[in-house]
Amino acid sequence: MNDFARPIFLEDKLPEIRDSGRLDYRSKTLPTWCPGCGYFAIVDGVTTALKREGIANHEAVIVSGIGCSSRFPFFVNTYGFHTLHGRALPVATGVKTANEALTVVAVGGDGDGFAIGGGHLPHACKRNVNITYLLLDNGIYGLTKGQTSPTSAQGFRTPTSPYENPDRPLNPLLMVLAYGASWVGQAYAGRPAQLLDLIRQAIAHRGFSYLHILSPCVTFDKTNRTYGNLDLQVRDLPAGHDPSDLQVAMAEAMNQEAPALGVYFRQERPTLGQALDSLVDKASGSRKHLAR
Amino acid sequence: MMTQRMMPATDIQIAICGSAGDGTIAAGEILRNVMAGIGYKVISFDVYPAEIRGFGKCIARMRITTEQAYSLKQRSDVLISLDDSHAIPHVGEVRDCGAVIYESGSIRPVPEGGHISAHILPGQLPYGVPLRELSEKATGANKSRNIVALGYLAGLFGLPAQPFIEGIDGKFKKKAEVARSNEAAFQEGYAIGQATYKLDDVSFEPVARSAGNGARVAMINGNAAVVRGCLDAGIETFFGYPITPATSIMERLAAEMPKRGARLLQTEDEISAISATVGAGYAGARAATATSGPGLALMAEMLGLGVIAEVPCVVFVSQRGGPATGMPTKHEQSDLHMAVYGGHGDAPRIVIAPTNVEGCYRCAGKAFEMAEAYQVPVIVLLDLYLSNRYETVSFPARPPFEPDMTRYAEKGELGEGYKRFRVTEDFISPRAVPGTREGMHVATGLEHNEPGRPNDQPENHQAQSHKRHQKLKAALRHPDFTHYKRFGDEGKVDVGLIAWGSTFGECLEAMHKARTDGIRCAAMKVVMLSPFPAEAVAAFMDDCAAVLVPEVNYQGQFANLLQANVGRRVERLDRVPGTPMPVEEILQEIRRLTGRIEARRPVRVA
Repeated sequence: MNDFARPIFLEDKLPEIRDSGRLDYRSKTLPTWCPGCGYFAIVDGVTTALKREGIANHEAVIVSGIGCSSRFPFFVNTYGFHTLHGRALPVATGVKTANEALTVVAVGGDGDGFAIGGGHLPHACKRNVNITYLLLDNGIYGLTKGQTSPTSAQGFRTPTSPYENPDRPLNPLLMVLAYGASWVGQAYAGRPAQLLDLIRQAIAHRGFSYLHILSPCVTFDKTNRTYGNLDLQVRDLPAGHDPSDLQVAMAEAMNQEAPALGVYFRQERPTLGQALDSLVDKASGSRKHLAR
Repeated sequence: MMTQRMMPATDIQIAICGSAGDGTIAAGEILRNVMAGIGYKVISFDVYPAEIRGFGKCIARMRITTEQAYSLKQRSDVLISLDDSHAIPHVGEVRDCGAVIYESGSIRPVPEGGHISAHILPGQLPYGVPLRELSEKATGANKSRNIVALGYLAGLFGLPAQPFIEGIDGKFKKKAEVARSNEAAFQEGYAIGQATYKLDDVSFEPVARSAGNGARVAMINGNAAVVRGCLDAGIETFFGYPITPATSIMERLAAEMPKRGARLLQTEDEISAISATVGAGYAGARAATATSGPGLALMAEMLGLGVIAEVPCVVFVSQRGGPATGMPTKHEQSDLHMAVYGGHGDAPRIVIAPTNVEGCYRCAGKAFEMAEAYQVPVIVLLDLYLSNRYETVSFPARPPFEPDMTRYAEKGELGEGYKRFRVTEDFISPRAVPGTREGMHVATGLEHNEPGRPNDQPENHQAQSHKRHQKLKAALRHPDFTHYKRFGDEGKVDVGLIAWGSTFGECLEAMHKARTDGIRCAAMKVVMLSPFPAEAVAAFMDDCAAVLVPEVNYQGQFANLLQANVGRRVERLDRVPGTPMPVEEILQEIRRLTGRIEARRPVRVA
């Protein structure tokens, strides 16, 4: 049976969308992304996750950098800070440190997080700042019209690498595992149910949660990271994968020819906020309630 | 009317010179704290090398007066040598009938030109003291030569021993044994000093302790005053990255903030420091960072985001010699252009620069008020001299700062139609910080319309740019703040000095000297650098036959700013010695200018 034979009408889907409650978290601004972009699924995932986790609109802050994916805050009805290229993580760290009561989600792309902003990631991971980082990886610079990114495949041809990309791509999952992120997972925009589940887990995790989301750029990448290719490449983490074992997680992360989806690693340890509170105790001061 | 300045009863400058490791700076610290504790006013500035080890020259200089002085003197009254090879070039700075205290024992290796006693000038009074021998006698080691010298100084000048003993105890309070042996070293020097027949004319007049009116008197440097200002203003977060000469701000805050439940984090770089500071400011906290010129350069882009997203935050910048790594331990005022204009786009911000240590306290606290009131990053521009020099400062019993000057959006303004960037009558838009119900909006570095959505239409960019510039005009009338101030002769004057930052102290000193010479002279300090108080400065210039702007940078950056805002030319005195501007040079320039003016006056023939 082929589902594509039957057209889907919006009216038929509306009751389901309404029931999901995610429209409470959508802003009135229409997304600026191209039709077919994987990011639509991610906005749906985040808005649904906020609803299901019971986080009030005014208690969530979405902080982004610059790039296609970083337009994210405009489409969500929470507080948002659309900052500078590469600086989502330190700004998000500042927001969270100033007010621990807020749920802070940083959103950015592969260029934003691993090229210009790459220096901040190790420190956010090691500090275990209690925020969620959604890395929307399309392997390309979309907003500047299709140049090579740090996760572009070697040999990939773009306007800035017209013969071929001479560089090897980074392995983001292996990096954040090595940096000491306390929650690491991978999702795919083409599998929305699993994506939602992983976003919910990432937001619920106490500590720095890193969710790598594979998402195709339908406009500037017709050959490499397409839905068609990704559908065939992705797999689930093996049944019985133990997310408390860092070595196993790293071994899985090393095989990104066939990217595995799911929770690679999970660890409970004191967050930056807790560590700073313990300094207050050591200095025998009383904790200030920073939220006004 | 010429107002005669009272000559202070005591005005003594002491220089202690040694090699890194001799305890030069430590001896200076004890001395200035003791003198301030006795009730004198002290201004002090140490010079030390960029290297931690090695044999670099260290000098601790302090001027001890009855009334607070504004700068160090050109000439010292007393020089203490802990290392002759370093001290020999400084013998010349001791005035006639001043004292030189030095090691009378044998010295190896003998410095170039021989023993320091061979360099003492006629008229200077030599006091050879067996510092090493006395130190060894008291402690079994030669490490306490600095304390023996202090004891000798105190004995020679008839100062009470007890405050010094307490000062030594305070300095070494963590090591009781070291404190005891240093006390013994002090007593050895003190006894010899008392027994010495004093020939110089240096004398400490008794001083009355100022009556307590609840004010807290402290002997602190500019950076410590900044810290007090931050704490008294209720700082909530600080993110920073170590850099000379701003580091001690972060170090002190790291010790103090947790006691008050506030949070400090050392970040991975200056970009992260300012980013987190802007993030915390956006979230509603009183947030600050501190850096020097190289860090400010890295922060420029994020400061622009703070301007366009209208986020309050405070950046303390202690300037040093530049560009690039420049001269990290040398004084300069060459980051004014960057503070006022740095970064891309039209990015107006507030820049204030204190002129003395007390001003550091006031500016630090007021910076938080201004950042909140006008929703903008505020740069507090310090300089190495100001950051590191010590002054006796009396702090008000109650912090003179408002706890929160934010204009919050009211209930009726919130909800679906909430316009975070609404163009109001005074161009300041009511704020909602995260956590406020119905205040959801996006702050963005893209040009945006009133509700905060991206918008690059010409009329919108014009209106929002206008708003961001115009709202800062109110800062020129910010309450309880000295934006500028005139000193010296009133009415028409021959020469008017205009200065900013620590150089204003040297200007005041030069102005007083010029007035004793009969020159009509006034000086204006400008604390508010951006927005610029053009009207007040222009009015002052109307009174001056000539206007001189001394500053410690090559380009005349303040003179440039002044000319651009006031539209009139000024005389410049630009020096980059890596040290404070010599008062003598300012005075020379004043004399030259008055000479020229007199020559221009028509000669009346009888």
